[in-house]
Amino acid sequence: MKRVLPIVIFIFAVLAAFVYVGQVVTDISGGGVATAVAEGVSPEAGEAIFFGKGKCSTCHSVGDEGSAIRCPNLGENNIAALLSLPIGLRATERAALRSEQTGEHFSATDYLVESLAEPGAFVVEGFKNEMPYVYKSPIGLSPDEVKAVVLYLQSQGGEVDVAQIKLPDVILASQKEESEPWQPYFAGDPENGMELFFDEESNAGCARCHTVAEKGGKVGPELTTVSGTRSPQYIVESVLTPSAVIASGFESILIITNDERYLTGIKKGEDEQSVSMMLDSGEVLKVSKEEIKEVAPQETSVMPSGFADDLTMTEFHDVLAFVLTLDGEQAIGGDAGDDEENDEDGDEEGDDEEDDAEADEEDEGSGDDSGEDQEDADDSDESDTDTEKDVSEGEET
Amino acid sequence: MRYLLTKFTFKDVSGIWIFLILSGIGIISGAFSVFGAETADVVDYRTFFGFDPRTTVWIIAELHLMFGAFVLGVPMFAVTVEYVGVLTKEERYDRLAKDFTRLLSASFALTAALGGLLTFALFTLYPKVMTFMSGIFHESFYIYAFFFFGETFVLYFYYYSWDRLKNRKGIHISAGVLLNIIGLIIMGISNSWATYMMSPSGIDPETMKFTGTLMDAIWNPLWNPLNLHRILGNAVFGGYVAGAYAAVKFLTAQTEEDRAHYDWMGYVGNFIAIVSLLFLPFAGYYLGREVYSFSPIMGNNMMGGAFSWTFIIQAIGIGSLLILGNFYLWMGMGRIPGAERYQGFIKFILFILTLSFAIWLTPHNLPLSSGEQLQMGGQYHPTLKYFGLMPAKNAVINFMILGTFFSFLLYRRGNISKTIPFSKQGAGAKIWTLIFTGLAFAAILWYGEFLWNLDPKELDLPPQKAEVFSLAAWCLIGQAFFIVVAVVFTFKDQGKIGQAILFTYTVINTVFILGIYGFVVMAEASPFLRNIAVAQWLSMLSCIIAVLTIDIFLFRKAEHMGAIRWGKMSAVSQYVLLTLFIVALLTMGIMGFIRSGLRENWHVYGVLQDTSEWAFTPTNLYAAKVIAFCALTFIIMMTIAFWLSELGEKKKVVTTSNS
Repeated sequence: MKRVLPIVIFIFAVLAAFVYVGQVVTDISGGGVATAVAEGVSPEAGEAIFFGKGKCSTCHSVGDEGSAIRCPNLGENNIAALLSLPIGLRATERAALRSEQTGEHFSATDYLVESLAEPGAFVVEGFKNEMPYVYKSPIGLSPDEVKAVVLYLQSQGGEVDVAQIKLPDVILASQKEESEPWQPYFAGDPENGMELFFDEESNAGCARCHTVAEKGGKVGPELTTVSGTRSPQYIVESVLTPSAVIASGFESILIITNDERYLTGIKKGEDEQSVSMMLDSGEVLKVSKEEIKEVAPQETSVMPSGFADDLTMTEFHDVLAFVLTLDGEQAIGGDAGDDEENDEDGDEEGDDEEDDAEADEEDEGSGDDSGEDQEDADDSDESDTDTEKDVSEGEET
Repeated sequence: MRYLLTKFTFKDVSGIWIFLILSGIGIISGAFSVFGAETADVVDYRTFFGFDPRTTVWIIAELHLMFGAFVLGVPMFAVTVEYVGVLTKEERYDRLAKDFTRLLSASFALTAALGGLLTFALFTLYPKVMTFMSGIFHESFYIYAFFFFGETFVLYFYYYSWDRLKNRKGIHISAGVLLNIIGLIIMGISNSWATYMMSPSGIDPETMKFTGTLMDAIWNPLWNPLNLHRILGNAVFGGYVAGAYAAVKFLTAQTEEDRAHYDWMGYVGNFIAIVSLLFLPFAGYYLGREVYSFSPIMGNNMMGGAFSWTFIIQAIGIGSLLILGNFYLWMGMGRIPGAERYQGFIKFILFILTLSFAIWLTPHNLPLSSGEQLQMGGQYHPTLKYFGLMPAKNAVINFMILGTFFSFLLYRRGNISKTIPFSKQGAGAKIWTLIFTGLAFAAILWYGEFLWNLDPKELDLPPQKAEVFSLAAWCLIGQAFFIVVAVVFTFKDQGKIGQAILFTYTVINTVFILGIYGFVVMAEASPFLRNIAVAQWLSMLSCIIAVLTIDIFLFRKAEHMGAIRWGKMSAVSQYVLLTLFIVALLTMGIMGFIRSGLRENWHVYGVLQDTSEWAFTPTNLYAAKVIAFCALTFIIMMTIAFWLSELGEKKKVVTTSNS
C-alpha cells in the first residue's frame, strides 16, 4: 500500500493540473462561447451578425478587428495594396469590374449583395471559392439579417443606404415562417405609461435618462424608435435586468484617479489627453489622463435594476405599452409636447431640451458619437454589439 | 476444439454474456419504444434523472471510447510485439504480448457494457436524434453487431490458443491480425456514425432530407480522415497503456528481476507509442484539413474561433508527450554503458524542444483590454503574432519530431563501440537499404512532381500563382537528392556522414526554408499552404525512413560496451511513463470534445438542429473537469479489471506449483 499511495496521489495531481490548465485557459479566453443574436436592420445589427451568428468573422477580419486571414480583410488595412480600401469603398471598384464582366449594371451595393447571395460569382484573386451561402443552413441568416450585414459592409467607408439593397429571390425564399408574435401578459394603458415615462417623480421616470422625441435625458440610449428596432422581449429584459445586455456606447467604466477618487459613468469619448465620461446626473466630465491611475470597464449597467420591485404589474405593463408605440413615426407625429394633456410638462421639458442641446454640443466637441442612438442587440453574455441606430438615420449618414 | 471449449469459463466469456444481455434488453426496450410511440407524446429530449443529458451522454461515450481505444490499441501492440518476438526469437516479447492480451478479456467486457449503456442513453435521452440516425444507419447496426461477435470469438481464440499454437506462430499471428482487422471494421462503422453527424452526405440541398444510400452516409467526407487518426491514436494509446502498466508494476516490484522486466516493458511500450506518435500530427492535419474543406465555418471555429483556445490545451498535451518521451529516453541512457558520450547533445535538443514547444503554444491573438492593446501596440504582438500562424506551427512540430528522432538515434548508439563497415554487412543489408531509401526517394519525387505540375485552378488560384509552387517542388527535389547522397556515402562506408548530411538538410528544408516560405504562401496563395504542410511532413518522414534504415545496418553486429542494465532506472522515469499515459488519455478527451463540439448547435451539422437547452458550447474549464472525471473513472475501472485478471493468473501459478 505504501508503494501504491504515491502513485494514486500522483495521478490525482496530474488530473488536477489538467483542470487547472482548463481554468487558466478559460480565464484568459473569457469563458464560454455564446452565439450572438441581433435584431433590426441597421449597420450595428449587421456588425453583431458579422461577428456572431453570421460567423463572417471566422474568415474575414475588418481592419484590426478580428484575426481571421483566410478570406479578404474587409476593413482598411495595410496587408495588400489591392485590398487596402475598406469594403464600402472597395465595392465601388468591384461594381465597375462586375459591370464590365457581366454587361449588367452593378452598384456598389449590388456587388455586396451578390457577394452574399452568390459568393462564387466573383472570387478575389489569391483566395479560394469556399464561402458558404449564409442564408442557408447551417448559418441560415434571414433576409433582414442579410440586409443588416450589407448595411454594415456599406458602413465600412461607403454610403449606408438600405433603399439600395435589393435581395434576390434565393435569399428572400429562405425566409422562414413567422412564429406567433409575442404578447405581453396583459395589455397596458399606453397613455398612463407615457405619463409614468415622463414623470421624473414616478416610480418609472424613464425620461430622467432616456430621450423620446427630443425630450428626456441623455444618460441612456434614445428610445424614440425603439419598438421599431427591438423585440418586446428585448425591451422587457432591458427594463427588468438592464445589465444582461448593455447597449454599445453605454457601457459603464470605473476611473480610479491618482488621488484615489472612484468615478463611475458612461464613457463618452477619449483623446490623447483625456477621457470623457457621463455621470449618473447627466453631467459630462473630462478627466485628464495624467490624473488617471486606472480605467476599468464595468459589467453592470448604470441603469437602476430595481424596476421589478419598484413598479407594480400594472405600471410596468403601462410603460411597456407606451414604449411599444415608439416606432419612430408615432413618437414624432404624436410629439408629447403637442399633446394637450402634457402641456404643463411640455414647458418644463422645453427647458430640458435646451440643456440637451448644450449637452449635444459638448458631446460633439469631444468627438463623441453617442448621438447615434445605439443599443446592444446581442443576447449573449459576452458580445457587445449595438443596433438601435435605425435605418432612417442610416440613410441620412 | 474440445480443449478450447473446456477451458472457457463463465468469467472468461462474460463479455459475450454482457453483450448478449444488453442487446436483448436493447431490442426489447426498442420494441417498447415503438409501441409506446403511438400513444405517448413525442419527446425530443429527456433528462437523466433530472441531470443534464448531454453531459450524461458525454461521460458514457468518453468512457466507452477510452475502453474502445484500449481494446483496439492493445491488440495492435500485442501482435506487433509477438511478431518482434518471432523475429528476434526472444521469449520475453512473446510473454509480454500474451500478458497484454490477457488484460483484454476483462476490459473487453467493460467496453461492451459501456457500449450498451451508451446505446440506452442515446435512445432514451435523445430520441429525436436517434430516430433520425436509425433511419439512415439501421442496417449498419446489425453489421456492427455481427462483427462484434466476430471480434469476441477471435479475441478469445487468440488468447486461449496462445500455448497450443506455440509452434505454429504463423497461424497465431494471423489470428491476431484478423483480430485487428475486425476491430478496425468495428471502429470504422462507429466512426461513420460520428463523422456523419459532422459532415452529412447524401443530403438533398433543397429539402435537407437524406436521399442517399447507406454507403453514401458511411463514406462521408470525414470518415477516412477520422479512421486514420483513430488507428494511429489507438496504436499510440496501446503503447502508453503498456508503459503505464509497466511503470506501476516497476514501482511496486519486490525483486530486481521484476524491476528489470517491467523496465524493459516500459521501454517497449514507450517506443511503440513514440513511433506511432510521429505519424499522428500528420493524420491530425489531414483530418483538420478535411474539416476545413467540408465546412470552412467549422474549420475556422476549430483553429481560429470558438475552439482556438481549446486547441491550446490540446497543443500542451501533444507538446508534453513529445518532451516527456524525450525525457524518458534521456533518462534511459543512464542505464546504457557508454551513452554518457552523447549526454552533451541533450541540452541542445532540450533547447530546440523548449523553443518549439513555446512557439507551438503561442496563440494568434489574445483577448486583450484596450489598455493592454495600447501597451502592446495593437491587437497582436508585433513579433509573436507570427508564431500563432499555421506556418510557424507546421515548422515547429516537424522540428520537435526531428528532435525526438535525434534523441532516439543517440539512445540506439549509446553502448555501441566497434562497428562492421556497411560494405561487409552482406547483400541483404544493401538490398533492404536500397528498397527503403528508394521508397522514401520515390515518395518525395512523386510529390515534388505533383507540385511542379499543379494547376493553380485546382486551388482556385490564377495561373500566375504557379510560380509560388516551384520553390516547394525544388525543396523536395533537393530532399530526394540528399537521400541519394546519404545512400552513396553509406555504400562508401561513410554512413554516419551520409546520415548527418541528410538530417541537416531536412532540418533546414522542413523547418526553415518551407517553414518561413509558408508565410509568403499565406500572403500570396493561401490555399497552397496545405501542400506546403504535406511537403514538410513528407520531407521529415523520408529523412526518418532513410536515416533509420541506414542506422540499422550501420550498427548491425556491432560490438557493445556492455549490456543494458534493465531495472536501473530512477522512480522518476516511471512517473514520466505514467504521466505520458495520463496526458495521452486527456489529450484524447480534449480532441474528442473539439471534434464533437465543432457541430455547435447541430446534432447533424446543417441538417438536424439541437433545439434543447443544452445547445451551447461549454467552457474549456467545464470540458476539462468532465474529461478529468472520465480519465479518473477509466483509470479506476482499468485498475480493477487488471487486478481481477491478475487474481486468475496468481491462482493458476499456485495451482501449477501445487501440481
